[in-house]
Amino acid sequence: MTPSALRIFFGTGSWIILAFLVLPILVVIPVSLTDTSFIGLPKDHLSLQHYDTFVHSTKWLFASWTSIWIGCVVAVVATGLGTLFCIGVWFLSDRAAMIVRWIMIVPILVPPVVQSLGFYKFWVTLGLIDSYLGVILAHVLLGLPYVTISVFASLSNMDRRLPLAARNLGASIGMTIRTVIIPAIRPGMISGGIFAFIVSFDEIVSVLFLTVRRVETLPKMIWEGIQESVDPVIAVVASIFVLITLIATSLAALRRS
Amino acid sequence: MPHIPEKLRYWMLIIPALAVMIIFYIFPVLNIWGISITEPSVGIENYERMFASNAVKVSFVLTFRIAAITTVACLILGYVVAYTISNLAGRVRPLMLGLVLLPFWVSVLIRSFAWIVLLGRSGLVNDGLMATGIISQPLRLMHNELGVLIAMVHVMLPFAVLPMLTNMRGISGSYIQAARGLGASEWRAFREVYFPQTLPGVMSGGLLVFVLSLGFYVTPALLGGGRVMMISEYITYQIQEFLNWGLGAALSVVLLMATAVVLLIASRFVNLKTTFLERR
Amino acid sequence: MDTHDTGYQADLMDIAAEKYKAGRLSRRGFLTAMGALGLVPMLGNRSAYAQASEIVVCNWGGAAEEILKNILGKAFEEETGIPVRVDGAGPSPGKIRAMVESGAVVWDVCDSGAGSAIVMNGAGVIQDIDYSIVDKTKVLDGTALPFGVGNYVFSYAMAWNPTMLPDGAPKTWEDVWNVQDFPGMRTFRKSVRGQLEMAAQAMGVAKEDVYAFLDDEGIKAAIAKFRELRDNIIVWGSGSDSQNLFLQGEVAMGNIYSSRSFLLKDQMEPGSFAMTFDGAVLQPGIWVVPKGNPAGAETAMRFIASAQDPQLQANWFEAIGNGPINPAAASLLPAALAQWNPNDPANVVKQVIYSDEWYGKNQVSAEELYIDALIG
Repeated sequence: MTPSALRIFFGTGSWIILAFLVLPILVVIPVSLTDTSFIGLPKDHLSLQHYDTFVHSTKWLFASWTSIWIGCVVAVVATGLGTLFCIGVWFLSDRAAMIVRWIMIVPILVPPVVQSLGFYKFWVTLGLIDSYLGVILAHVLLGLPYVTISVFASLSNMDRRLPLAARNLGASIGMTIRTVIIPAIRPGMISGGIFAFIVSFDEIVSVLFLTVRRVETLPKMIWEGIQESVDPVIAVVASIFVLITLIATSLAALRRS
Repeated sequence: MPHIPEKLRYWMLIIPALAVMIIFYIFPVLNIWGISITEPSVGIENYERMFASNAVKVSFVLTFRIAAITTVACLILGYVVAYTISNLAGRVRPLMLGLVLLPFWVSVLIRSFAWIVLLGRSGLVNDGLMATGIISQPLRLMHNELGVLIAMVHVMLPFAVLPMLTNMRGISGSYIQAARGLGASEWRAFREVYFPQTLPGVMSGGLLVFVLSLGFYVTPALLGGGRVMMISEYITYQIQEFLNWGLGAALSVVLLMATAVVLLIASRFVNLKTTFLERR
Repeated sequence: MDTHDTGYQADLMDIAAEKYKAGRLSRRGFLTAMGALGLVPMLGNRSAYAQASEIVVCNWGGAAEEILKNILGKAFEEETGIPVRVDGAGPSPGKIRAMVESGAVVWDVCDSGAGSAIVMNGAGVIQDIDYSIVDKTKVLDGTALPFGVGNYVFSYAMAWNPTMLPDGAPKTWEDVWNVQDFPGMRTFRKSVRGQLEMAAQAMGVAKEDVYAFLDDEGIKAAIAKFRELRDNIIVWGSGSDSQNLFLQGEVAMGNIYSSRSFLLKDQMEPGSFAMTFDGAVLQPGIWVVPKGNPAGAETAMRFIASAQDPQLQANWFEAIGNGPINPAAASLLPAALAQWNPNDPANVVKQVIYSDEWYGKNQVSAEELYIDALIG
């Protein structure tokens, strides 16, 4: 059977669109290998000079480290809070539970600049401006919606009778959660945690409002770098990001198949 | 151990996260309303100034226009991809899905940077086109609305594809086969049988993209050349440069209400629950 | 500033030599006096201000960061023993207010501008300058504000890339508005400061009459002029922004800081960058001290005073093109670089002198109209 026009249209169309999605991101890799001192493709040969600059720059390394550990703390706290929340809501399963689920995802709907403005004023009162705690708290709030969505999806797939049976057999809530529920929803918790980490690791707008100088995260360095200079080091940071993402996605894909 | 009612026990699981969210998020965001009517002095002068300002009007119109164009473009492009993945991909389906998800994991900042590298006057696209002799003068691809739109569509496209994929997964192929069996052309079967069934997914993806685009800051600020000033950038600018918190807050309140109105209207056509609460 | 009095300019060189000596003398004299009062211990001048272990000066980054540290910073450290750290984070009003409001101030002295200083003073986040420590006579007339004091002089000046304008370079602001004969993108600042003056001149207003012309009607006309040009404009937010726009060939001409031009002349390929002070707007940069600065008000004021030294001012100019705020420095400048000095008498006569009074009165309303003209 020859493929119909419709099939050809959709088939070629989607490969073009996928190329539009992916190729622009990959462009940072050749640029990071440039032998020039400005952003552009390599002129005469490939060079690792800008990678060298990156690994010897305490500022960039420190900012990377800051972003990583903040991201980890955020992931753990948000997953912890979010998981308990989802379990409670799942047990309740009433109208009130539905309302609080909506409250939890409000941060997805509010424009980033608006919420950052709100954070700023409140953080000033709390003395949290330009502090790690201030950034972590903001990021936990921004990560919670993703954790709850992801964990709740896992809970919905779980057999309702299991935990109820455990309860009927006399297990306490704590024990039921530990021995029955958590093992069953672990995949949702892990992907929720990864989401929270990524949200924190990439977040820029609230960091711009809430930090001045003491806290430097990687996105903030990139943001300032893009605005301030045409230093190819940004391309290096971008390439490292993209490579890690590529490796992680391929690994995940391999594991799945 | 004193007896605690079952329901209360469940609420005790909910309370920590809920309390954190209400105290540190909901309250500060609602408080913006307070700032807008107390800074620099008590009254509604910020709103008066805002509604009298042509710049604010222009910025709002611009914001809605860019969000609308981005949404339409994402829906068209996203539909093609989602349809192919759901119905035609076969063995390459995991690869295609992976390619849709890949940009999702790369930060918006990095993606905007990549577009700056590509779209600049001496960027890679212009260099390439000039080298091959297609153009003799560099095109203006960045520092204007076109540049912002290209980069925004790139950022938002996965948000449009995923809800449509979820929706299409649930559509049985038997209707199409039945239509084809009854003699409908492939195009007609698609248009009259398949497409209407995918509308919930389209609506859902469109709403997601539109709402996220309304408040978008990073990409327009980096690629707009300062002249494509969407409302989020306008707010930041007022606050950072002129310490104009009152006006910034008033603008935020209006942006927030605009978002709420969009959601309210959308709730008549879109299943908000599947769009937001049961994403992915 | 009333520097458009030509008598002032003619006298500048003569006065400079005297002031220079006076400047040196008074600094030495000041240190001697301190010693006599027992405030300076025997071993060098160290620990006179034992309470401050360092002082943090914030400016706008890039090359300026190192240069400020090596010139003003080194001198202050030698003089007082207090190390100077320079932070190039860009002390925007928003960031300074964030620090002061949260009580987490990390900057002692910040490189700001007259317009921003007015904004920050209005918000009550900066300290008054202590003119018993800072010398009013060592800055240009009119730049010793109660809440900020001049640190250097710069101009908003026309710059262009000759290689992108093979058919001839713009000579006047009228030319910059002439898109037919001078094609290419232009860059102007995102804020109205130092911009309407150019539109007025493009309409044929003489540079002396610019602020007289810019009454309510004049402002409207100048704004309309920007509206007319806006499709050919890319705006710059920070000085480094404007530098990048030229470096990457995004713009063919524009209105940028003279200090950025000073750097660009060396950064760009020979023959691909030029600038002129004709029709530029001359204005002072302003030091401000955030309320509750960590090193204490006194140390901050001492740093500002130390930076007034004419030789330091001259060195600073040589390194980065900031025109000396201390008129006494003029005679110390290398003759070859005089053409780049916004404050050089020969350049001053070509320029519009920034009017604080006009900005105090019109900045807020003009800013609004300006943004409106540019966006959309």
